[in-house]
Amino acid sequence: MGEARLALQITEEDMLRANVYRLLAHALRAGPSRADLDTFAGMTGDDTPIGKAVAALARVSSGTTPEEAAREFHDLFIGVGRGELVPYGSYYITGFLNEKPLARLRNDMARLGIARRDDVSEPEDNIAALCEMMAGLIMGDFDGAADLTEQKRFFNAHIGPWAKTFFTDLEGARSSVFYACIGQLGAAFMDVEEQAFSMV
Amino acid sequence: MAKGNDKVATGRRDFLKLAGVSAVTGTAAIAAGSAGAEAAAPVEGAAGYRETDHVKTYYKLAGF
Repeated sequence: MGEARLALQITEEDMLRANVYRLLAHALRAGPSRADLDTFAGMTGDDTPIGKAVAALARVSSGTTPEEAAREFHDLFIGVGRGELVPYGSYYITGFLNEKPLARLRNDMARLGIARRDDVSEPEDNIAALCEMMAGLIMGDFDGAADLTEQKRFFNAHIGPWAKTFFTDLEGARSSVFYACIGQLGAAFMDVEEQAFSMV
Repeated sequence: MAKGNDKVATGRRDFLKLAGVSAVTGTAAIAAGSAGAEAAAPVEGAAGYRETDHVKTYYKLAGF
């Protein structure tokens, strides 16, 4: 693992990308804790779309309680019967869970040395899991060290086709206030990732 | 990275520098916090993601 990190020579910009993916993964896995909200509240952003989203996230986080965020998370992703959104690639791409996009993701995960934990049974194409995988690929956390070409392939295959739409849906969701900022940040970041990968 | 790619890499890095990604800070604390809370049995080479409540609910309702 350590050798993979050295061999990759991760640039500062790439570490910052991993930070964004980690934040998105963390916020989309469960509602944020008090400490998480305090961390978000301390961020500042510049005039870029990402900077504006971060500034909005900071502002809203300072006025949001963990209970309010947990309620939003519930309404968005759990709901009564079903949440407002279904945050899975297969669902967004095909209209159904567990379809071919998930099979393709599993093949790539096996190739890249990424495994689902034994105690997890949810499909791997959950947005939080995919963001976590991207962060891991960037930082060389898995067996197969992923250079930019590999990251680009993974992004284009499993995230690019649907994540921007999901984040835009999240931004506009009826139940979103705190999560609208996560959606705004995610959508802005997906634009940047897409453009940056087009330069690889 | 191969020498021929240096120019491309610089262009991309410059683009990212201007894209505002540095606004996201303090995530080391978040990552460390969640690892502490979830580090039951980390599996080598595994992404540490967990089954989330919405999926449990979905499975329950879908009758799996």
